Amino acid sequence: MVNLTIDDKQVTAPKSATIYEAAKINGIKIPILCHDKKLKPFGACRMCLVEVEQMKGRQIPACTTPVTDGMIIRTSTPDIIKARKMVLELLLLNHPIDCPVCDKGGDCDLQNLTYEYQVNANRFSDEKFHHEIDYSNPLIERDMNRCVLCGKCARICDEIVSFGALTFISRGIETKIGCEFEGSLNCEFCGSCVSVCPVGSLLARPFKFKARFWALTNQKSVCSYCGTGCNLTLGVKDNKVLTTVYDENQGFHNGQLCCRGRFGYQFINSDKRLTTPLVRKGGALMEASWDEALELVATRLRGAGASAAALATPRLTNEELLLFKKLMEAAGSANYDHSAGYAHAALTKGFARSFGATASPSTILDIQKSDLLLVIKTDSYETHPVIGFEINMAVKNKGAKLNILSDKRGKLSKLPDAKTFVHTPGSEIAVINSLAKAILDEKLAAGSAVSIPGYADLEKALAGFTPDAVAVQSGLSAAAIKQLASDYAKAEKALIIFPVGNAYPGHNADMASAVANLALLTGKLGTEGSGVLCMAEKNNSQGAVDMGFYATSGLQAGQIMDGCASGAIKTLFLAGENPVVSYPNRAVVTTALDKVEFLVVSDLFMTETAAMADVVLPACSFAEKEGTFTSVDRRVQHIKPAIRKVGQSRTDFEIFSTLIAKLGGQAPAAPAAVFGEIAASAPGYAGMSYAALGETGAFAPVDITPAFVVPKTVAVEPAAGKLALVIGSVLYHNGTLSQFGEGPMYVCPEGYVELSRGDAAKLNVAENDLLNVTSAAGSTKLKARISSRMPEGVLFSPYHFGAAEINRVWSGAPVTWVTVTK
Amino acid sequence: MSEAVAQQAEEQEPEVDLSIADKVIDKYIDLPGNLMPVLQAVQDEYGYVPRKVAEHVAERLNVYPSQIYGVLTFYAQFHLKPRGRFIIRVCVGTACHVSGAPRIVETFFDKLHIGHAETTPDLRYTFEKVACLGACGMAPLAMVNDDTFGKMTVQKVDEIIAEYNQRPMK
Repeated sequence: MVNLTIDDKQVTAPKSATIYEAAKINGIKIPILCHDKKLKPFGACRMCLVEVEQMKGRQIPACTTPVTDGMIIRTSTPDIIKARKMVLELLLLNHPIDCPVCDKGGDCDLQNLTYEYQVNANRFSDEKFHHEIDYSNPLIERDMNRCVLCGKCARICDEIVSFGALTFISRGIETKIGCEFEGSLNCEFCGSCVSVCPVGSLLARPFKFKARFWALTNQKSVCSYCGTGCNLTLGVKDNKVLTTVYDENQGFHNGQLCCRGRFGYQFINSDKRLTTPLVRKGGALMEASWDEALELVATRLRGAGASAAALATPRLTNEELLLFKKLMEAAGSANYDHSAGYAHAALTKGFARSFGATASPSTILDIQKSDLLLVIKTDSYETHPVIGFEINMAVKNKGAKLNILSDKRGKLSKLPDAKTFVHTPGSEIAVINSLAKAILDEKLAAGSAVSIPGYADLEKALAGFTPDAVAVQSGLSAAAIKQLASDYAKAEKALIIFPVGNAYPGHNADMASAVANLALLTGKLGTEGSGVLCMAEKNNSQGAVDMGFYATSGLQAGQIMDGCASGAIKTLFLAGENPVVSYPNRAVVTTALDKVEFLVVSDLFMTETAAMADVVLPACSFAEKEGTFTSVDRRVQHIKPAIRKVGQSRTDFEIFSTLIAKLGGQAPAAPAAVFGEIAASAPGYAGMSYAALGETGAFAPVDITPAFVVPKTVAVEPAAGKLALVIGSVLYHNGTLSQFGEGPMYVCPEGYVELSRGDAAKLNVAENDLLNVTSAAGSTKLKARISSRMPEGVLFSPYHFGAAEINRVWSGAPVTWVTVTK
Repeated sequence: MSEAVAQQAEEQEPEVDLSIADKVIDKYIDLPGNLMPVLQAVQDEYGYVPRKVAEHVAERLNVYPSQIYGVLTFYAQFHLKPRGRFIIRVCVGTACHVSGAPRIVETFFDKLHIGHAETTPDLRYTFEKVACLGACGMAPLAMVNDDTFGKMTVQKVDEIIAEYNQRPMK
C-alpha cells in the first residue's frame, strides 16, 4: 500500500493502482469515458486529467498513471475543470445532439458529464459526422456519429471476448470504429461492446424504444441458461423484462455476459408462453382449471409406486427439485432423474467413484490462477462462453499455457500459443489414459500417488495404453501425447476443464475417472489453480446432482424411457424436460412417450414433448420465482422474482407442493423453508441461508476421498466410407429453451451440419446445400456449413433445434457413423 | 464505404492467386511482429492488398481481420484497390503551389480523366497529389514511379503521358 493525498485528503491505495483507481476506492469521483474495470488502461478520452504536484502541477491522465508514495493530487482545480469543459466541447463538436431520440438518454456518460460540467454553449463549430448507421443486424445497432473513440468496444472484443470484430479504422480526423472492410458487424453477438459503450453508438436493438432508462426497475438475478452462474440485472417495466442491465461490479465475471445471457431473455415475456393448464379431452388439449388438472395428476400418482416416473430439467431451483423428489417419494416411486442418466454420469458416477464427491473440486476462479489449462473439447468455450472468457484472460493476461484436446478446432485454438491436439472422435478416454501412462513411464507422478487406493490396479491397467499404441487409435502422434503429458505433469498448477451435457455422450463416468486419475497421479488437486472442473450443462445441473435428483435406487433417464415403451412405467411426469428434442434416438423417445399411459408436462412452452402430454401445466420462468441455483463450481446463488407470474402460470414449487398435499403429505410452505432443509441435509450446504448467500452466493465445499479407478474405453472402429458425427452445443444456444430467446434465434436460427473444406469438395457440397444425413438410427435433412475448423472425416451438428431433428440420426453413442448425400 | 459499396468492390475484385501470398507468409510466419512485413510484401506482389489476401493473411497469421484492416487504413503506404502501373505524383507543397502546381494537377486530371487517388480503368496510371516531395528547388515537381520531372509545365504533362503510354505494362 502507498500513502498519497487526493484533494487534501490522506488516503492509501494498493501499489499497483492507478490514480483513477486510488481515487475511486477512496470515494473520490474522477470523470472518465474510456475506462472499464475489466479492461486495461487506455488513456484515450482525456476526461480524467488531474494535477500532480510532484509533476509541477501538469495535467496528467489519472487512468494510466500509477500512484507513488507521497503523491499529491488535485482532481478539480479551476484549470482541470476548464480542461474537461474543453474536452467536452470538442467531443460535442461532432457529436449529434439527438438525445431525445437516443436510447442512451439518461444512461449516457457524455450526456451526464455535459450536464455536470454545464457545457451549454460551444465555442467551436464544425460539421457533424455523416457516417452511415449500421442497422443491418437485429441485435446491435451501430451509429458511429455518436462515437467518442474511447475504444472500449474494440478493447473488450479483443481483450476479453477474443473475437476482434471491431477496430480503429483510418487515422486522424477520419478515425472511426468499424469492422473489416467497412462491413457490417458479423460476430458472436455477446453484446459486450454494447454494455461498455459510454454513449449511444452501440445499442441493443431488442431494447430500442422500449423504455427510458430511468423508467426501469432493476432486479438482480442469475442467468438461467448454462451452469456458469453469471449474475444478471434484469431491467423491468410493466411486468416485462425488457433488457439486461450492465453492471461492471456484478459477479466474478464483472458483468460480462454471452449472447444468450445478454440477448436471450425474451422467452420470459414471450407471447408463446403457456398461460392456462391444459387437459387432453377427446384427443385434443383443452383449457382446464388448475384444480381439474392437478386432481387428474394426483389421482394418477396416488399409490402409483414404481409405475410412476419423473424427469426434471436442471433449470428448476434446488428447492423445486427437492420438492419434486418428495412428490415422487409420496407416490412411492424412486424413478426420478434429470438428464443425468444421459448426460451427467461424469459427475454423478465418475466423480463419485474417483473423488468420493459428486462435484468438481475446482472453481471457475481457479482458471485465472492456473499455469496450464488442459481443455477437453474446445466446446468448453461454446457451452459456457463466460468460462471461455476466463480462459481467454488466463492465457492473454496471466500467461497460462493452453493445451486443447478435442475432436475439432474452435475459438480457443486461436488464442496466443494455444496448442490443439485433434484426435479422432471417441478416442478421448484412451488418450487421457495414455497421458497417465506417459506420466508413469516418465516418472512424473507425485510421490503421494502410490498411497491412493487403486494405484496398483491402475498401473496394471494402463500397460496397454502406451503413447505408441494410442497414437494409432487416436490419430495423434506418440510425441504429441508425451508432450501433453509432460506439459501437464510439469506445470506447477494445472487445471483440467471439460464439459458434460446431453450433447456429450462420450463425456461419461469413465471420462471423469480418466481425468481424475491424471490429477490424482500428479497431485494437482486441492491447491489453488489446480484440479478438475467439470462443466455441467444447465444453470442448475450441479444443484440437481446435489439434491440427489438422479437415479440411485430407481430407474435412470434412459431406463425410464424403456419402461414407458415396455409398459412398466404408466405415468410419467416431465418438469421442463424436452426429451423429444434433447434426448438421443428420437424415434425411441417418441414411441415411449406415445406408449406411456399418462404423460404430465409442466413447462413454459408448448414444446414438442408437451404437445404429446395428457396434462400440460403452465410453469413460471426463473424471473418469476424464488429459490437457489448452484453453478458448475458449486456457487449457490439466490434469485428473487423480478416480475409477477405470467397468465395463470405457477412455479414448479407451487405445483409440486399442491400435489404433495393432494397425496396426503405436507410440503413446506415456502422455498426458504425447503432451503432450510437443504442446508441441514445436503453435503456442503450446511449453515447456508438465503440471508447469508447475499448477492455473491456461497461455495459449497467439496471433500475429496481420492481413489484411482480404471476407466473403460470403448473401441471406436472407423466405418468404411462413413463420416463420424459428433454433436454438441453451438455458442448461441443452451438446451432447447434458447429457441424461445429471440436474440439467439436471430443469430443462429436453425440446425446445420458442419463439415471440413476437404469433405465438402469430395462430396461436391456448397455452403447451405441441403444434405441428407443418415445413420443406423435414422436420417434427417440439414443445411451444410463449411468451415476450416473441422478435420476431414468428421461432422458436427448442434443438438438444440427441434426442427433439425439431429436426434433422429444420433443414437447416443459417443460417435455416430453417418453417410451424407445431397 | 457502405456495406453495399464494399460488396460491390468485392464483386469487382479480380480473382487473386493466394499461393503468391502463401509464399510471402511462409517466409515470415515464424518472425515475431510479422504483420507489417507480410502486408508490405503482399502489396509488392499484387500491387495492392486485395480483400481476399487480407483475409487470408488474417487466417494464417491468426490476427483478427479487423485488425488488419485497421493497419491497412492507418498507413498511407497501403492500398486497398488496384493501382496503376505508373504512379504519377504531383507535389502541391508550398513551393510547388506558388509555382503553378494546381494547373499541372488540373491538366493531368483532364488528360487522364481521373481525379486524386484514382486509377485509370486500364490500370496504367494512378494519380496522386502529395504534400511535399522534398525537391522545392525544382518546383513545380512531378514524379512517375521513381522518375523525377522538375520545372513542370502544362506541355510537359503531354510529353510525360505520351512517353509512359509507350511503356510496357509489366
